Amino acid sequence: MSAGDIPITTSPAVAPTDLVQPTRWIEGSPSLHRITTDIAQPMEARPGRGWWICFGIASAALLNLLGMVTYLFAKGIGIWGLNNAVGWAFDITNFVFWIGIGHAGTLISAILLLFRQKWRTSINRSAEAMTIFAVMCAGLFPLIHMGRPWDCFFIFPYFPNQRGPLWVNFRSPLVWDVFAISTYFTISLVFWFMGMIPDLATLRDRAVGGIKKFIFRILSMGWNGSQRTWSRYEIVSLVLAALATPLVLSVHSIVSTDFATSLVPGWHTTIFPPYFVAGAIYSGFGMVLTLLLITRVTMNLQRYITFNHLEAMAKVILLTGSLVGYAYATEFFNAWYSGNVHERFHFINRATGPYAWCFYLMVLCNVLTPQVFWWKRARRSIPVLFVASILINVGMWFERFVIIVVGLHRNFLPSAWGMFYPTVFDIGILIGVFGLFFTLFLLFIRALPMIAMWEIKGVSHD
Amino acid sequence: MNRRPACEEAETAATAIATGSPLVQIGLPTGTRSTGFEASRRDVLSLMGFSLGALGLGSGCRAPVQHAVPLPAASTEMVPGVPNLYATTCGACSASCGLVVKQRDGRPIKIEGNDASPLTRGGTCAAGQASVLSLYDDARLRGPVWLGNPVSWEEIDRHIKTMLNAGSGDPRAVVLLSQTITSPSALAVLNDFRVAFPSFRHVVYDPMSLAALREANRLAHGAAVVPHFRFDRARVVVGLEADFLGTWLAPVEFARQWSRRRTADGERAFHVQCESGMSVTGSNADLRLAIAPSELGPFAVALLAAVARRVSDDGLAGLRGAGLAPDAPHAAAIDRIADALARHRGEALVVTGSNDVATQLVVAKLNALLGGVGKTVDLEQPSLQRQGDDAQVADLIQQMNRGAVRALIVWGANPVYDHPDGVAFTAALKKVPLTISLADRRDETGAHVRALCPDHHFLESWGDAEPVRGQFSLRQPLIAPLHDTRSGVESLLVWAGRPTDHRTRLRDFWQRELHPRALGAGPFEGFWERSLERGVVEMPQPAVAVHAFAGDWQGAVRDIVTRGGRPPTEAYELALQETVGARDGRHANNPWLQELPDPITRLTWGNVACIAPATAAAQGITTGDVVTLTTEVGKLELPAFVQPGQERRTISVAIGYGRWAAGKAGDGVGGNVFPLVRVENGLRRASAPVTLSKTGRRARLAPAQTHFSMEGRDIVQTMALGQDKHEAEHEHEHEALPNLWRERLHGAHAWGMSIDLDACTGCSACVVACQAENNVPVVGAEQVRKSRIMHWMRIDRYLEGDGEDVISHHQPMMCQHCQHAPCETVCPVLATTTSSEGINQQVYNRCIGTRYCANNCPYKVRRFNWHNFTANDDFPFNMTSPLGRLVLNPDVTVRSRGVMEKCNLCVQRIQLAKNQALLQRRPMADGDVATACQQACPTGAIVFGDLADAQSRVSKLLAGRRAYRVLEDLGTRPNVGYLKKITSKETT
Repeated sequence: MSAGDIPITTSPAVAPTDLVQPTRWIEGSPSLHRITTDIAQPMEARPGRGWWICFGIASAALLNLLGMVTYLFAKGIGIWGLNNAVGWAFDITNFVFWIGIGHAGTLISAILLLFRQKWRTSINRSAEAMTIFAVMCAGLFPLIHMGRPWDCFFIFPYFPNQRGPLWVNFRSPLVWDVFAISTYFTISLVFWFMGMIPDLATLRDRAVGGIKKFIFRILSMGWNGSQRTWSRYEIVSLVLAALATPLVLSVHSIVSTDFATSLVPGWHTTIFPPYFVAGAIYSGFGMVLTLLLITRVTMNLQRYITFNHLEAMAKVILLTGSLVGYAYATEFFNAWYSGNVHERFHFINRATGPYAWCFYLMVLCNVLTPQVFWWKRARRSIPVLFVASILINVGMWFERFVIIVVGLHRNFLPSAWGMFYPTVFDIGILIGVFGLFFTLFLLFIRALPMIAMWEIKGVSHD
Repeated sequence: MNRRPACEEAETAATAIATGSPLVQIGLPTGTRSTGFEASRRDVLSLMGFSLGALGLGSGCRAPVQHAVPLPAASTEMVPGVPNLYATTCGACSASCGLVVKQRDGRPIKIEGNDASPLTRGGTCAAGQASVLSLYDDARLRGPVWLGNPVSWEEIDRHIKTMLNAGSGDPRAVVLLSQTITSPSALAVLNDFRVAFPSFRHVVYDPMSLAALREANRLAHGAAVVPHFRFDRARVVVGLEADFLGTWLAPVEFARQWSRRRTADGERAFHVQCESGMSVTGSNADLRLAIAPSELGPFAVALLAAVARRVSDDGLAGLRGAGLAPDAPHAAAIDRIADALARHRGEALVVTGSNDVATQLVVAKLNALLGGVGKTVDLEQPSLQRQGDDAQVADLIQQMNRGAVRALIVWGANPVYDHPDGVAFTAALKKVPLTISLADRRDETGAHVRALCPDHHFLESWGDAEPVRGQFSLRQPLIAPLHDTRSGVESLLVWAGRPTDHRTRLRDFWQRELHPRALGAGPFEGFWERSLERGVVEMPQPAVAVHAFAGDWQGAVRDIVTRGGRPPTEAYELALQETVGARDGRHANNPWLQELPDPITRLTWGNVACIAPATAAAQGITTGDVVTLTTEVGKLELPAFVQPGQERRTISVAIGYGRWAAGKAGDGVGGNVFPLVRVENGLRRASAPVTLSKTGRRARLAPAQTHFSMEGRDIVQTMALGQDKHEAEHEHEHEALPNLWRERLHGAHAWGMSIDLDACTGCSACVVACQAENNVPVVGAEQVRKSRIMHWMRIDRYLEGDGEDVISHHQPMMCQHCQHAPCETVCPVLATTTSSEGINQQVYNRCIGTRYCANNCPYKVRRFNWHNFTANDDFPFNMTSPLGRLVLNPDVTVRSRGVMEKCNLCVQRIQLAKNQALLQRRPMADGDVATACQQACPTGAIVFGDLADAQSRVSKLLAGRRAYRVLEDLGTRPNVGYLKKITSKETT
């Protein structure tokens, strides 16, 4: 393997001999220095016009979010379309959606590390960043959906307090959410930051001076790259990965218990924890795909995020999408088999009621779309991957919407049946949170290394 | 609670007013009195003293500046925090029900029924419950107005007296056009007026008139009276277009009477209702027939013939051939009804609300034939609640036009709005030199008169009432007048040159006229005090002289048959309906009544054209399509509403909407249907031929319920008559669900409630009572459309079947106080818990508004404050106005935005009763506590009590075979149980 520039080839078919040889995950064999410069390049060069346009749009959406949330706090939850029948709609749909998206990052970082999947190295940093930002976006919703957000601290079990003292209701899934999401955010942040330390040190060394060097010196925490440091570091990474792994399963299981522990037909089912976890991984990988398909081209990182990586992600999507489809079928079967009139009605209403179009969209996007990835050509086709990744997230958003709104709007007493219609504020905040997410992500790719340099270096010469 | 006599306070205030003794003047709250404040109005202080109570106590950030003023002169009567109860008489309609009104800190805040009244026995209606709010209505006049300018009483009296006295030799009439006056003392004052003005005439005006009934009784029995109907003495009741459980004549009394005979055993009364539009009464009948208004007369004739065949030897010659043909649509039903009636002679009652003399005469004959006169139809001690004379009103308009009236005083009437010839009346008003309105606001009629001399609200007023001959009740003020108003009686006396204050006049009348007839009453002072305290007095009066039936019923039959033979001029008929919320329109500016969901359509804030499903389908009309109704005399555009049970050819429209000078809440709400019918032969009609056409436009209705089918779920359970006596299997045998939870700690009581679905008529008095008691906000039509209505108590309506024989169910639904409450486990902050006494509590100041509890409530009884509904200009109803907030109950927190609320079984009442029992060193007794809904109910359908006490009424009811819980299979273990509705298809 000689150093030097090697032109990037189009996606080669994977040779049967790869069963014996490990896959080459990085195109060509770039030198270590080349890796550093390639990855550091977005941080050191001025952003191009494309970045500015995207940032402008995202910031506009973020400003819209700020404005609408301010108005929401001023006027009350009544500016949304919620009512006595449907107490949650876009707010909790968005919450679950964003938490779900975050799961891909943790899975890639932690579980794939424990399974020694080397292909994770190109995507784990940005996936982790995506998780952090997704959890931040998600965390916004429990705050703003409260009727009295200024009293939000009631939900934290702070002790001692002068209200009794009063604890929180540990039987409530919303309190479990508090623990799960704060844990998730904390661990993800620590894991992400820890993983960046060697790269921050590299950037410190590359920085010529001034504020940049100062910041990177602080952040890299005195990294000296010695053998001892590295060996301790690898142990810490494994420990953190072990800590983070259960979160992939637990966090979304707990979020699903927001619904599963209630008695609402369509919510009250034990299938939710595994179903939601599968769905979360599914939507998370969809979002990772969307982001990486764009950034690998715009940041010239095709060498590091290759078709092999994309194909691996597509396989995960196929698996989890099929699980989700299986879960849908199970739900319908259970509803019929149970003979419970309310459960049966709920599913008939899903498919034939006023929100039936949401249901069919959801099935199209979640059940049919991933099946295209049985074909290798589809797995390695950028347009198919991109369109599929968008549809996946549309479908997963609608899945949560269907579960929440269709479950609430018609259940036990027909006299209380109602409808939910989103208002401009529901939709504006939905779009605005995407603005928050993309603003953060766009800033991230310019400020921090979006691929783990040190990990790439570890796999580039296999 | 203390039940006080004629309060010292009112006496003292009266004395103070009379003598002008000085009292301390302190600043005024915004929105009340204007200039000319008299230091003697000390009670203004008491109303100011609790502006604080009107503050949203939990309402977030900044508290607005309030004027809290302590009372300088302590009153022995008024203890802050302790309510006083005073008996008075309702003035919301002319039924004049006895009331006991709760007063806190010098102002009335809650209306309750008077248990001592032999007529109502403590029941109330929705309009009566809501009338406490109209006391605090911003639209009320603040003082007299002359030619559009506010003036003082001296000045307006000068103007009026000048004009009245100038015509001393003038033959032109001085006319008082008033609603039915049931007050004997007021009627006596009219005599004084007559003395002063010999050309004085009193014309009585009722928008929904019973003039034909009175005329029929005059022809039949020699006295133009409205009988006192006794539904409690009837084993078979037939109602022909008479909503006697909802709005007809005396619905509170009739509901109580009717429910007394609707027992669950074999002696149960059988109720048949024949009507064109679905009414509250029709929805509770055992057998309901849909008949068009024009078919009512022939139906009555056919029924008379069928009954006559059974009870009279010759089948009443003159009826031959007058019956319906055997294959006529209702022939089988008529036979069945006639069988029932004939089997229970002497215990049968037929009533009709028709304003056609012939039909009323036929029905009078029917009652006579069935031996009801003197039993179920009491003519000798008649009802005095409707004395309107349509012919006189029509005459009056003509006389006004001719210039034969020199002065017109309008009192409690609004003909410009609700008379069919309202336009003619308006024009005629201009021809009368002196026109005066005693209305409390600038209403439609008041806009065209010279002088506005606003009367007090009935809660500020003295007075009396005799709703049924021999049954008297008194009215005493609960608060000194808020504004510069004057009692109508006093105004008349001033103008008659004999100024006397109302109280003195009332007392004198009672002392002179009534006390002598009160047997065994003792000296007057004691009698007066006791009467004021009790509120109602029975003083037998001489019977009205009536004779046995002698009317020309054959002529009436001929009349009807001839008319019936004419083909209808149009395909459809319009029928006017009076609904429990809107009544005749006088309460249009009362937001509680506008937001009250109609028990039949479940709509709020507006009226609709109710069309039968088959007719609507044939015309391609769906609910919400705006249609034009055109009669010979008028036109109206209204949204259509597809109403199962509606008669095929009839379109029913509620009256009382479409006002334009009621006030902010009532103006422009709905459409005014009064001008579409006419006065025929001197009688107001309630129906007319009409054409129906689509406009192509749609209107957005504000429904509180959109889905009326039970979807096969047994939410309202029924039981056949007599089934509970059998030892046969239940239809719904439930296995006892195992309990996975540890039993909670129990306190001394387990509060629970039983709701008798058979006794509930759907009248919705409980809904308004709950709103009044618990400071439930009004949200307005737009929020109702978004399904955000705030009522803690709702009356769900379910329909079984479609078409004309639809069965209707009313089910009051509020927090079921589940002992395994699904809402409690999911609240993250413990804002909802169950007390040791079984009440599911909502802790407002802990609630952060995640709304998980509302999502998890299977009954959907939780209500969220989506916006700040108080002190918020976006919701300009009573909780935003400083005056309107005076109606708030200080014992109940006013909730801020973002907080969940729901029924708490009137825990404030429970606490009060507990405290009283403590003070009296005794345990609590069953019946110490009556929740607001229980107290308001005229049929006693709601029973609240202690389930831990096996002897309490509620325990016994819920241990019976009729008891069940809604959604019992969910394992929520509610403390609220329902008693199955009884279905009876036959009478035994």
